[in-house]
Amino acid sequence: MYGLVALGYHITWATSRTMNFSQGHAVMAGAVVAYTVFVALGWPFPLALVITLAALACYGALVERIAVRPFFLRASPAWLLATIAVGIIAENVAQLTFGKDARAFPSPLMQKPIFVGSAGFYPQELLVPVVGLLLMGMVQLFYHRTSYGKQLKAVAWNPEAAGLMGINIPRAVMASYALSAILAGVAGVLLAPLLNVAPQMGTIIGLKAFAVAIIGGLTSAPGIVIAGLGYGLVETFTAGYISTRAREIVGFGLVILVLVLKPWGLMGDKPSRRV
Amino acid sequence: MDRLGWTALAAAAASIPLLTSNTYYLYVAMSVGLLTIVTAGLNVLVGFTGQTSLGHAGLYAFGAYTAALCATRAGLGEWAAIAAAIVVTSVVGAAVAAAALRVSGPYLAMVTIAFGLIVEGVLIEWGSVTGGPGGIFNIPKPALRTHYWTVMLAAALALWLTAKLRRSAWGRAFLAVKSSEVAAESLGLSSYYVRIAAFTVSAAFTGAAGALFTFLNGYISPDSFTLQTSIVFLLALLFGGLGRIAGPVAGSLALTILPELLTRLLDYRLILYGALLLVSIYWLPEGVIGKLSRGRRGAGYRPSPLPSPQRGEGALGPLPHRGRGPQFEPKGEAVRRGLDSQGALLTAGGVSLSFGGVTALAAVDLAVDRGTVHALIGPNGAGKTSLLNVLSGFYAADAGSIALAGRSIVGLHPYAVARRGIARTFQTAQVFGGLSARENVAVGVAGPRLGTVLGALAGTPGARARESAIQARAQALLDALGLGNVAEEPAEALAAGLRRKLEIARALATGPLLLMLDEPAAGLSPAEIAALDEQLTALRQQGGPAVILVEHHMDLVMAVSDRITVLDYGRVIADGAPDAIRRDRAVIEAYLGGAS
Repeated sequence: MYGLVALGYHITWATSRTMNFSQGHAVMAGAVVAYTVFVALGWPFPLALVITLAALACYGALVERIAVRPFFLRASPAWLLATIAVGIIAENVAQLTFGKDARAFPSPLMQKPIFVGSAGFYPQELLVPVVGLLLMGMVQLFYHRTSYGKQLKAVAWNPEAAGLMGINIPRAVMASYALSAILAGVAGVLLAPLLNVAPQMGTIIGLKAFAVAIIGGLTSAPGIVIAGLGYGLVETFTAGYISTRAREIVGFGLVILVLVLKPWGLMGDKPSRRV
Repeated sequence: MDRLGWTALAAAAASIPLLTSNTYYLYVAMSVGLLTIVTAGLNVLVGFTGQTSLGHAGLYAFGAYTAALCATRAGLGEWAAIAAAIVVTSVVGAAVAAAALRVSGPYLAMVTIAFGLIVEGVLIEWGSVTGGPGGIFNIPKPALRTHYWTVMLAAALALWLTAKLRRSAWGRAFLAVKSSEVAAESLGLSSYYVRIAAFTVSAAFTGAAGALFTFLNGYISPDSFTLQTSIVFLLALLFGGLGRIAGPVAGSLALTILPELLTRLLDYRLILYGALLLVSIYWLPEGVIGKLSRGRRGAGYRPSPLPSPQRGEGALGPLPHRGRGPQFEPKGEAVRRGLDSQGALLTAGGVSLSFGGVTALAAVDLAVDRGTVHALIGPNGAGKTSLLNVLSGFYAADAGSIALAGRSIVGLHPYAVARRGIARTFQTAQVFGGLSARENVAVGVAGPRLGTVLGALAGTPGARARESAIQARAQALLDALGLGNVAEEPAEALAAGLRRKLEIARALATGPLLLMLDEPAAGLSPAEIAALDEQLTALRQQGGPAVILVEHHMDLVMAVSDRITVLDYGRVIADGAPDAIRRDRAVIEAYLGGAS
């Protein structure tokens, strides 16, 4: 489930070696916008989805413009703090416009649980990994098969050379941020019925997704998706056998363990050291 | 901030309890004090060492809960509880750092966030010890006014200690690792170990503040130790001034008082924090304090003008006598004396290295004799720098053996190679920004022998004697290389030629057996190259280390070298005395193209 959000980290990292540390807030924004358009205004779902994703693309571009571009290529970690700043501002704005209370997001796929043996789950819960895998496949195709995707990869490899080859780097980075935010928006819409919509939902989702991205390896999309599934399973089991709170403790403990054993993630590449 | 500023600040802090009996003001002032202690500690980690932590609320919690448990369960007094808190957080901090600092940048930020959240989760879950979400109540607390003085003195002590630490060998090591990890390792510093030390110091400060927080409030609950708390810690430091001693004070004042003034705007608090964070990053890279002092000083750092050529500038002054203080006899010296001078100093056999499918080095053999200048030449991309990187441990060779003075150094970390006696410079000079020229050399002089952190904090006589020995030797080395008059200049403001010299001085400071110079003449003027020529010759005459010289200026190479190895496409195509190399067909071909 977190794999989808984590993929958003991968996309910007793969292009610019930066990422939106407040990716979770983009998920929140997706859920809030979708709620506002679909539930509060009562517009049809496809239209609401399009509006949400468009809004998220703008949000991603905005994050890039405000918090990343000034610091990109300066190898300064300021972008890390700047994206956190934008995230907490977004959370506060959502609190002021949307209200602090969590609201339920109705979905036809949440009406009736399906039972397999004694374990019951909602179709919505099934939809999340399916869409996640689908989008991951599309992202991989985009990177490996389209010329624009290759351009983005080139930027990641060597921004200077890519720039000399006529690639518009700021635009490429902005595009990757928009794409990453769109994925977060999809995740927001998918997760909204499961979690309820609230401005403060972003932080924890973002962190867990980041944990997944690190476990899987920031440079590896398949690694992230596998780690996402694994992390979800571990969480469910912990919540089932120990307690809901222990879920987070075990989850983040896992991250630290992975980092100690394999600092660049299970399937990530070790960055080469330049002397 | 100058002396006047500090005095005024101390006077203001001292006068608050005399001017008002309103406990609210005392409480606010003490909150400023606590935040100052935390951010002063954080400054050591983020400001000096350049590592970001977003988990200090977790350490703060460790301090607070340790003190609370000591006071309520174990019945310890206030001071014993504070001491216990400091010890516990130091240990926890060192453990977290040992795990977290294997990575850096965004990874590190994530691990520290994860640590903070785990602590918060445990505080809530482990109700039997921590009191769960409700926290711990009824902690015996000292009288508010007494505690006011405790907090303020602790804050002053924290600032004083960070200032002291900054000027010690440890402080220089912190800044060196922040500025150039690669160069720091080439001087024998393990950046991993140095960062753990910085993290531990910051943890100890944070733990002390946590304990004082417990005794201020009399009750604690998990609400005080969230991710937002960690962000506020970091924000206060950034806003005040990263790496500035006074930064924590300014940041803590702003971050404590502003929200108190704007209590009506409670709903906008996150926007306020976010905006302050953005403002700090955009316009205040050195914080309020940096802005203020820069404004007063005018243009800030000016690049130093080139010193006018001095009498005998080219010649290497006498190298400082190495016997100055027994503990500063360079290790290499001892090794050298213990060995008879038979055989080559460095032998490399069959060294191979490839990047992906590209072969950088193919079975390279190299033998460097003691006390000689051994040049390594070849066309661009021939693998010269790659070979230096393999020899100094920055790249791991795919195959081959490397031995220094008869002992294998294959597989050692760069800092371990440096400790064995190999010093180097870099193709693009990597001086430590934020340190003066003399401090740069002092990093090399001290190398890994930093003494204890506690010694540096307390300023023991031993630590002070070491420090003056280090400074004296650093100054002597600068004088020897004709840099004596720029000793106090910030290293990053030096002109390119001087930076290269500084790098050489710094490498010599480690007392190496072997000095590797990577294109020391690149970008130098003809006059400067002539000076370099004389210095290398002088170095050899004075019984200095063996030198491996990677260089393109053939005049220089031919003039100073005892032996030359020529590389092309990662292979040794010639090896011998300068005269033989000059006439070698293969070499001429490699340089002039296949015109045979």
